[in-house]
Amino acid sequence: MRRVISLWLPRFATDRLSRRQSDWRAEPLVTVCDGGDLDGGGRGGGAVMRVAAANRAAETAAGIAPGLPLADARARLLGLCTMPAEGQADREALAALADWCGRWTPWVALDATGPNATGDATGEPETLIGASHGLWLDVTGCAHLFGGETALVNDLLHRLAHFGFAARATLADTPGAAWAISRYGGGKHRAGAKQGNEVEPSVRKNGRVIAPGKNRAALAKLPLKGLRLGASETKGLERLGFRAIGDLYGIPRGALARRFGDGVMQRLDQALGRADEPLSPRRPVAAQRVRQDFAEPIASREAIAATVQRLLNELEGLLELAGKGARQLELSLYRGDGKVERLMVGTSAPVRAPAHLMRLFADSLDEVDAGFGFDSVTLAASQTQALALTQLALSAAAATETTPTPTTTTPESQNLFEQVGAEEDDGEVARLIDRLSGRLGLRNVRRLALFPSHEPELAVISPVAQSSTTAQAPTAAPPNPAPINTVRLQPSHWPAGRQRPLRLLPRPEAVEAIAMVPDDPPVMFRWRRILHRVVKADGPERIAAEWWHAEGAAPLGGAADSIRDYYRVEDERGRRFWLYRDALYRSGMTPGWWLHGLFG
Amino acid sequence: MSVYAELQAASNYSFLRGASHPQELIERAAALGHHAIAITDRNSLAGVVRAHIAARENVAAHEKGAMRLIPGARLDLTASLAVQDEYSGPSFLCLPTDRAAYGRLSSLLTIGKRRAPKGQCWITLEDVLRHARGQILIALPPAPSALQDEFKCEAAFAAMLEGFAAAAGKMSVPCYLAAHHLCRGDDARRLVRFEAIAQRCGTPLVATNDVHAHDPSRRALQDVLTCIREHCTIDSAGWRLQANAERHLKSGAEMARLFARHGDAVARSIEIADACRFSLDELRYEYPADPISGGRTPQEELARLSWLGAAARWPGGVPDKVRAQINHELELIGTLGYAPYFLTVHDIVCFARRRSILCQGRGSAANSAVCYCLTITAVDPNRMDLLFERFVSAARDEPPDIDVDFEHERREEVIQYIYKKYGREHAGIAATVISYRSRSAVREVGKALGLSGDVVGALSSALRRWGRSDNSGEDDIDDPVREAGLDPTDRRLALALHLTRELIGFPRHLSQHVGGFVITRGPLSEMVPVMNAAMVERTNIEWDKDDLDALGILKIDVLALGMLSCIRKSLGLLAEEHGWNLELADVPAEDPVVYDMLCKADTVGVFQIESRAQMSMLPRLKPRTFYDLVIEVAIVRPGPIQGDMVHPYLRRRNGEEQAVFPSAELEQVLGKTLGVPLFQEQAMKIAIVAAGFTPEEADKLRRAMATFRRSGLVHTFHDKMINGMVARGYDEEFAERCFRQIEGFGDYGFPESHAASFALLVYVSAWLKCHYPAIFAAAILNSQPMGFYAPAQLVRDARAHGVLVLDVDVNSSAWDCSLEVSEKSHKGRALRLGFREIKGFPEVAAARIVAARGGGYRTLADLHRHADLSKAVLERLARADAFRSMGLSRRKAAWEIRALNDVPLPLFATLVDGREEGEHEAKYESGVDLPKMRLGEQVVEDYATLRLSLRCHPVQLLRPELTPRGIVRAEQLVNLKPERRVSVAGLVLMRQRPGTAKGVIFATLEDESGSANVIIWSDVFERFRNVVIAARLLVCTGRLQREGLVIHIIAQQLEDLSHRLDGLVDLGRADGPPASPAELPVISRDFH
Repeated sequence: MRRVISLWLPRFATDRLSRRQSDWRAEPLVTVCDGGDLDGGGRGGGAVMRVAAANRAAETAAGIAPGLPLADARARLLGLCTMPAEGQADREALAALADWCGRWTPWVALDATGPNATGDATGEPETLIGASHGLWLDVTGCAHLFGGETALVNDLLHRLAHFGFAARATLADTPGAAWAISRYGGGKHRAGAKQGNEVEPSVRKNGRVIAPGKNRAALAKLPLKGLRLGASETKGLERLGFRAIGDLYGIPRGALARRFGDGVMQRLDQALGRADEPLSPRRPVAAQRVRQDFAEPIASREAIAATVQRLLNELEGLLELAGKGARQLELSLYRGDGKVERLMVGTSAPVRAPAHLMRLFADSLDEVDAGFGFDSVTLAASQTQALALTQLALSAAAATETTPTPTTTTPESQNLFEQVGAEEDDGEVARLIDRLSGRLGLRNVRRLALFPSHEPELAVISPVAQSSTTAQAPTAAPPNPAPINTVRLQPSHWPAGRQRPLRLLPRPEAVEAIAMVPDDPPVMFRWRRILHRVVKADGPERIAAEWWHAEGAAPLGGAADSIRDYYRVEDERGRRFWLYRDALYRSGMTPGWWLHGLFG
Repeated sequence: MSVYAELQAASNYSFLRGASHPQELIERAAALGHHAIAITDRNSLAGVVRAHIAARENVAAHEKGAMRLIPGARLDLTASLAVQDEYSGPSFLCLPTDRAAYGRLSSLLTIGKRRAPKGQCWITLEDVLRHARGQILIALPPAPSALQDEFKCEAAFAAMLEGFAAAAGKMSVPCYLAAHHLCRGDDARRLVRFEAIAQRCGTPLVATNDVHAHDPSRRALQDVLTCIREHCTIDSAGWRLQANAERHLKSGAEMARLFARHGDAVARSIEIADACRFSLDELRYEYPADPISGGRTPQEELARLSWLGAAARWPGGVPDKVRAQINHELELIGTLGYAPYFLTVHDIVCFARRRSILCQGRGSAANSAVCYCLTITAVDPNRMDLLFERFVSAARDEPPDIDVDFEHERREEVIQYIYKKYGREHAGIAATVISYRSRSAVREVGKALGLSGDVVGALSSALRRWGRSDNSGEDDIDDPVREAGLDPTDRRLALALHLTRELIGFPRHLSQHVGGFVITRGPLSEMVPVMNAAMVERTNIEWDKDDLDALGILKIDVLALGMLSCIRKSLGLLAEEHGWNLELADVPAEDPVVYDMLCKADTVGVFQIESRAQMSMLPRLKPRTFYDLVIEVAIVRPGPIQGDMVHPYLRRRNGEEQAVFPSAELEQVLGKTLGVPLFQEQAMKIAIVAAGFTPEEADKLRRAMATFRRSGLVHTFHDKMINGMVARGYDEEFAERCFRQIEGFGDYGFPESHAASFALLVYVSAWLKCHYPAIFAAAILNSQPMGFYAPAQLVRDARAHGVLVLDVDVNSSAWDCSLEVSEKSHKGRALRLGFREIKGFPEVAAARIVAARGGGYRTLADLHRHADLSKAVLERLARADAFRSMGLSRRKAAWEIRALNDVPLPLFATLVDGREEGEHEAKYESGVDLPKMRLGEQVVEDYATLRLSLRCHPVQLLRPELTPRGIVRAEQLVNLKPERRVSVAGLVLMRQRPGTAKGVIFATLEDESGSANVIIWSDVFERFRNVVIAARLLVCTGRLQREGLVIHIIAQQLEDLSHRLDGLVDLGRADGPPASPAELPVISRDFH
């Protein structure tokens, strides 16, 4: 007999956030998202921010529920704490939780569906509003390992509660029945169910264990929504007066099927165990994946390196067959005591060559904690990209040509290559960047790029050099000059007529200068104790400070203070300088002169 | 002596480019002592009138040496029509030298706009040459931020300019080249290069400063505008922003210094300015003269028609008083030359009458004897006691103002008639300038500064709260911001707030006025550019109604009014059912039964006086005559309420207080209203006679109230008025009240003439409701959406008046609600609800049902086959319970429809007609026992599909649990002792927080017996905030307050019982799971 747990985490999104910041647990907290899709009307303009999920405090204090416009929620509860809904983070956290559930059974399936919890997410646009988070654990034949079914369910709920997740779990014969009871079997109807003695008395508050073969009775009083039908089917049935799943037991199959198609019958049969419902395990399996097991655990660095080398060679063959190159590799080292060490490396261009990839791993193998040794090692190409078969040498430019996908090289990296010059060097540079990034850390290898800003100091930035898709670390963006990730860097042309020295001084240096007011170029100036007599000059180029920048910037309206007048000047010996006056001349104020760069 | 004229200035009518109002530019330029300023918006003349007004005021203020305004435009050309891009070609400034040239510029813009989609303008170089005569053209150097190679693009530009200047030279059109000195670093070199180009092309250099703001402090706002335009944030805007703020108005001395090496370029600006002699004052507006048969002049024709009409209106002979009035009015019209205008309105009204479109005029000129004779209005001047001797003012050259309301469903016919009759060359709709308001401004600014939608939402609400508070100074905003959970000291937030407040009031785009038509004798496009409107078949001009007013251009407002549709439908039904043909003016006047009804505030559905505020006024005012209705309409307005005029008037009217007049001169003004100013013109008149304002000042005062509510201007008027009145011996408190009233009028002025026109509709609709409630209910339901009440209340009210209301049924209903003969109903007519009451029901389906009905549908299959309805439509009918005449309940019908095939095979269907029916019977009758619907479920379903239920009121279903809690029915309130504590429960029909009531909320609750009025003071509101905002079913406990028939409950405790509404489906159900939440929808009019 099959036995399945349906685990429901009704406040997963807010619980997850509260784990990060525990004082949120008691505060009203909601996540919000763009509600444009709520009415299924696609992503039109004028979308309203809506509550995606609310924690218990928010719900009990003001009845704030998913789908409520944020403005209304705020109106109901001043001081409501809001966070952006992060579907991706939720999914990742749920996946991690699923992996963690592997301690009870290897067979864990995700159950994350939209607000209607229909189970079949086909066609309906994905929305974060009222997203439902749950898992299925197929525990057939596992329960005895944990002291019986009740103990298993209790253990599961106890541990989740410890983590701070509200959860409800039901163990039943079919995934469908377990799902329906975990979601709709609570509250007052639970008491009714108890009379039938399906519930073992010692089960925890939010847990249910339905004895084998008792599905039918346990489901009879539950609402139709427990069948995971489409919203229109549920509504259609309700409109005819059917409320409970049991109301359908007596309807002739033909009459129902004629009016609602086979879907309703199918779901009913699945819940009652008359039809099979397979669950698919969660972890996606990389297409190119190699594995080596050891009878005797390995622990030395040499042994590990040799294994990795071997696996890389093996993987190269698989990748070549598939016409792919790796953009990201995942090396999993399974320790005897159950811990898993994972190493990830990314590349800036698709790669198969074992030697190159080995170098990427080599540096980090030292950090692996082998403990008592690894008994199994897997290597998976977790991200791949097309790579032509004939290619022998690595060349980013060649890769660009062979791949239609635009992700290979972003404008920045192209820019970089242009700056480097010769095309045959591209691969070398890419490999160098990969190696340096691998050794020094992704964020420590940078390159220079143009940033569109009028302020000379801000017009050049240094983004991370290895700008592959895998390299986007989730850490915060650099604070200055702007959140780079949000700024689209255009193929940067310098605006016409703006002449700048190739290099600026690290910081402007004060000079003494003599100039005619209000805005003539200096006649002479003294820099580092040497007097320069100006013979030719151009300017001023007036640049106002970026008023939107934080502290220290001039207040609005005080225009004269936040202005620099730049001049290109040439002294009597033909040396060219770039200097500026710090503000406009005004009565009583003598602005300073600064040298900012040298030409030529 | 001024040395410089600024010839290139973009105001904020160059949308999302210019960062200053035209007024600001004018004022600053005048302050700088410029010789002249040209307003040159991009492909537009939309801002020139405002600039013109500002310049005119400036002249008035400074008399000598005043600065002149040159109306002009910047032409951004498209390279060719194939490119269809406004900015792909070169740009010129176009400054017309005289009226004819101005007309050509306007025509040029019209051509460009008419061939482009709304908001764009496609003009080519050839178009410019074709309209160049009389213009001064100044070529603008290619945009400095262009990414191309500078020299290459200058060479191309020079080549273009050479050719163009040669062509222009042949037409002796002077052509110049603009020189900018914008501190870009290379200005000196550039100017030298352009000097060379200028010489080569024969286009002398003229200095301009490419002005985009009057002051450099607008730089931040200008950057934000750029971001809004480019859809980017300030952080990512980069080089799309300007490097500095040099594009502002600079003094002549500064310009001379910057162009020291090109001295004549500055001097040339004066020379050009002097050549441009055109002023908008020259736009002598000419009203079109319709061809008149028999060679009569318009004045003769108007007199003829008036006397003809008078004879028809008074078949027994025109009363002497009226005769004198008509003579007087005709004389005045003749003096001012407005006869053609009246004839036009007459013509439009005649067209409407030919098409039987009901209409009525209002406005200051409308309620004249002449308009009554011309059937423009139906307000009998005799009945009105002829108060309107001042219907047009001879003293002020104020254009007459006639607005004509038409049935809202048929106004488009009238509009297209006007287009057709005068042609699009002579008729166009006025524009409405859509400006940034706090919400839109904060959203755009927030987006540009990269704030999250969340923060923007919070800021928006903070701004709203700030805007509501009484003294909203700069700093007071911190508190609301903090309340919204934000830190007001955060720099980005502070910037956002600052910029938002700067942006508020900026024009955003032009839209079309609801119906203000401008009709001209000469081509309209030679006066003002005409552009395509968003609606098909509509064109509108670039100026809005204030602009037109300022230039003295006549416009006719063709407006839409729902009540006219309702009255026309009522009169139609009256003719059909009772054979009585009536028109507006024929409705029996001064019927005491009607006034009895009004005194009881029994006015659901009656025009204007159905609102809660009006209803509570009626029993106090006790209208007995038509003029009482005029007052009733006018008194419940912000003006009289803010001015605290209501209670004094009521006391005097009820004889509790003597009507005293502060002075004899005011007795003239206020005699009709017992010494209390109630109408807009009375308030203005007080300013004139009692405070010594000139008529012009009084009008300006009113306008100042409307537009610059928070500006200092109001205070000067305030002091002037109070001092003026006190100086003339008036009570200071009375003066204050008068001023406050004018303040209220500023926003929602209600002159007596409007009130009179509306009062007639009040009377007619009340008369219909009083005598023919079934007809009136059908008509008003068929004219929805309109008015104050939802169908549920209208139906309920009809039933309360003895009308039998019948369900929607496939065998009886039509699309519209209709009347059926029934002995059980009032006047023998029952009201049958139409398919239109079913939410989302398609009108074509209703037509097919009616067309194929024949002797009636016996079965569902019958209907399905003959009326060719889709399953979705049938399901909707089933949900609305429209199959009862077939003996099918909601569920049975739904069950059977589910089994129907969507597309029946016609041949097969006819063959097995009988058998198929039998088959269905067998399927649902014997096979399945569907659960029976309980009353609660039925009511919820009724509300879900029809928004009303004829079975039972939802609150009645809950009564068994309400009564034990001591909750009384609304109808019981009248019998309870005042001041005692009571509880009522009801559906929330409306929540209002009038601006005049200082945070007090008025709510109306409806239960099965009637409705109750609840007053929620702001402290109670704060305590029960969530309940008040969210509840659909509200329980209110509080103090009963009664004044005559007017009953209020002053709320102390509030409770949200909405969840019980949703639980109605489960009412009386013993076990089983609750249904999925079937929300019972309650339509509430909230917070208007």
